Amino acid sequence: MSPPVIELHLTVNGESRTFLTQINRSLFDVLRAEGYVDVKNGCLNGDCGSCAVLLNGRPVLGCLVMAPHCEGGEVVTAAGLGRPGDLHPLQEAFLDTGAVQCGFCTPGMLIVAKHLIDTNPDPSEEEIAAALAGNLCRCTGYVKIIDGVKEAARRMRASKARSKARGRRRS
Amino acid sequence: MSESTRHIGKPIPRIDGLDKATGALKYLSDLRFEGTLWGKVLRAAHPHAMIRGIDTSAAEAIEGVHAVLTHRDVKGLNRFGIAVPDQPALCEDRVRYVGDAVALVVADTEEIATRACAAIVVDFRVLPVVDDPLRALEPGAPAVHTDGNLMHRNEVSKGDIAEGFEQSDVILEHHFSTQMYAHAFLELDAGTGLLDPGSGVLTIWCAGQYPYRDQLQIARAVGWDPEKIHVIASPIGGAFGGKDEITIQIYLALMAIAVPGRPVKLALSREESMEAGTKRHPFELDVKLGAKRDGTFMALDFEMVSDTGAYASLGGPVMNLAIEGASGPYVFPHTRIGGRVAYTNNGFSGAFRGFGTTQSCFAQEQMIDMLALELGMDPIDLRLKNALHTGDLSAMDHRIWTAVGIEETLRVARDSRIWRERRERQARHRPPLFFGTGVACEMQATGLGKGIPDFAGAHCDLEPDGAVKLRIGGIEMGTGVNTAYCQMAAEILGLPMDRMRIVMGDTGETPDSGTTTASRSIYMMGNAATLAARDLARVMGEFVASHWGEGFTLRDGAFVRDGQSVSLIDIAARASEMGQRLRGEGHTVHPEADRDFGDGLPHIMYAYCTQIASVIVDGETGEVFVDEVLSIPDCGRVINPQGVEGQSEGGVVMGASYALLEEVLMEGGRFINANFTNYSLPTAVDCPRRIDTVMVEVPEPTHEWGSKGIGETVTVPICPAIVNAIFDAIGIRFFRIPVTPERVVEAIEANPDCRAARAMSSAMG
Repeated sequence: MSPPVIELHLTVNGESRTFLTQINRSLFDVLRAEGYVDVKNGCLNGDCGSCAVLLNGRPVLGCLVMAPHCEGGEVVTAAGLGRPGDLHPLQEAFLDTGAVQCGFCTPGMLIVAKHLIDTNPDPSEEEIAAALAGNLCRCTGYVKIIDGVKEAARRMRASKARSKARGRRRS
Repeated sequence: MSESTRHIGKPIPRIDGLDKATGALKYLSDLRFEGTLWGKVLRAAHPHAMIRGIDTSAAEAIEGVHAVLTHRDVKGLNRFGIAVPDQPALCEDRVRYVGDAVALVVADTEEIATRACAAIVVDFRVLPVVDDPLRALEPGAPAVHTDGNLMHRNEVSKGDIAEGFEQSDVILEHHFSTQMYAHAFLELDAGTGLLDPGSGVLTIWCAGQYPYRDQLQIARAVGWDPEKIHVIASPIGGAFGGKDEITIQIYLALMAIAVPGRPVKLALSREESMEAGTKRHPFELDVKLGAKRDGTFMALDFEMVSDTGAYASLGGPVMNLAIEGASGPYVFPHTRIGGRVAYTNNGFSGAFRGFGTTQSCFAQEQMIDMLALELGMDPIDLRLKNALHTGDLSAMDHRIWTAVGIEETLRVARDSRIWRERRERQARHRPPLFFGTGVACEMQATGLGKGIPDFAGAHCDLEPDGAVKLRIGGIEMGTGVNTAYCQMAAEILGLPMDRMRIVMGDTGETPDSGTTTASRSIYMMGNAATLAARDLARVMGEFVASHWGEGFTLRDGAFVRDGQSVSLIDIAARASEMGQRLRGEGHTVHPEADRDFGDGLPHIMYAYCTQIASVIVDGETGEVFVDEVLSIPDCGRVINPQGVEGQSEGGVVMGASYALLEEVLMEGGRFINANFTNYSLPTAVDCPRRIDTVMVEVPEPTHEWGSKGIGETVTVPICPAIVNAIFDAIGIRFFRIPVTPERVVEAIEANPDCRAARAMSSAMG
């Protein structure tokens, strides 16, 4: 009487994967079961933001999205943002500003922040806070997380300006 | 103490930061094992009931169920509790709160385990519920335990309280109430247990703030040799005291014993964690404060009642610290401070960052604010006038000979911009917005207290590749102590941080360092780590002397002798060849007070903090916005300013939320808001717009670096500072927290003469 099992095709962190899953599973269930444990469980109720991932470029809560609805989708988890030696500027800035304490909210924060600075390269503190308002953190008081996002955005703008300037010099 | 340092006092990024920022760090709830079975706990569901029978036959018959366990399957004491083991692991004949555990199921999947739990038939006879601590202490109240509902009572005094009030020119008397409050750590209680049938070793992977005590509590409850229990308790995704008591470790042990060779995983939902786990004790407080016209504090009388819920846990010690912290960091010639702890059927409360002092400070710092107003004195000047100093007698009448930095924090507060500009900024606001500023101080007892064994061990090993590894039994729950310990050891050994490694909180890999609570980590484990590093330097020095000759000294991570240098890599290679392990050990014991008031009182060392909050109150909606906070902890010498700032900012937001937002609501022993949908935590848009931290460094002479812990004290004074600021803004005193918008609106309506009501009615013309 178990729910039917389907094949689910996803690209996770750039890698094409096929999963077998029961149709009543959430995206969170599938990712966790496949070992993507950087997708965290803080409530499974859509309240805490710890399981946020990018689905086709937009942040979603893994616990609120049914897995079959993601068929063919492109998923990015925090581990897909960057690796040691090749970190995303957000990851670097989080380390430099002290935005990480217990670290449990960090993956979800990074995912939502990534979407924010992709769509708004120069967010104000208010815009950052509003974007992160669905992600709970019990350790930091959010100050250094907001600092981290701001600093990452600044670095990304600066590096873009540098590469533009290099481009102009070349032409 | 050398003045120029390489690591101490530097904002070194946390050593586990990279793993956390890349999502690579595996918490114990993330571990996956081949062939894992799933566990589930059947909870009482009734706040108070007799158990007349438990029928597990239907559950056992479900396909995929491996074991169904009740109290009949528990071979040991079947009890746990840090101070008093009075809480059943699996209830026998009675349940006392909705989270009490009645049975456990082990099954192939979580779904089957859930279904099997639902198939267990428990014959309950519902008993009358006692859900009010004051009523619980009245004669004739339903008894939660056979020897009555008074779990604990304590009282301290100094001088002659009657005489103190007689000599007072001004006497104030008020009643205060504080709410039940949830730790709301983000990482839920989850872990794995495994019994290796060959060795008989039971391994428990589960977050906990004291793995060696978890080991003891498991052994005692399930009847297993503690030497054959291996507890791995770190890293932790947040705890705040909520993982100090046993959470699910004993269930993991019982289930693992039932299915030898199979790993068993148990993961609580947010609701189950909220209902089953400890909380911050709600308090009722009666306070009477007497002073001379010139502001000299004369007499302080406190009588408190706390609701510890169904079981003792740390209800007694929490009340004791409420008593010890009640005076605040001030001198009183005459005191009487007492408290009672009541059993009820309201969940169960225990350790929480701030540990009792949170509650008494909320009352006391408002009393002082009211006294300043009554006397026409500046609230900071009044506090400075009565401030405690090294060598003074405490409100409990013991001599405090350790470092006391409260005066220095108050001086920073008095000279701060936020304090100096408060009237100017208040004048700039127009109804219905009201601006106010408040201040409060705290002293937080650190360490475990008189008569309670308070020790820490650390090992410092030279690794085969020449790196250095610290082994510390404490845990890392987000505070960054792992980084601080490595800074201390690296400083001693002259190593760069990237040559340091650390393993923590593992009974198989680390020595016993005591509990990671009571603001004791930097002090106790920091000392142990420092001593261990120094011992490793000695051990390596002797090794170098015997293999390379005499006359070498350790400089910048190498042993040098006129132009000749032996690196740690050379030493490690030679030691490996010889089959030798080079280890330094550090052991430290906490200093104690010279008087003994019993029950762990008093302490001899305290963390001190002054905090100022500016708020904007919307008189129409009742909303309170914390505009700006200045947090001034006395840290002793700072090891890592980024770590202190992180603690301070997080503490401020947690304490502000205690003042304004969070409350665990219960009715008849049942939880009303047990998940994050209706138990609201502050988010990024709710936190103060600006939090500044000024670290005051009054060195603690008994610490190797002059440091002490501030993880708790930064959470506490912010609450009364905010409530004092609300009074400054609208002229209404709140004796109950949280100060919700509803309560503000009601209070303004009920007080037509208050500053806010008058201003709004005149603004309306």
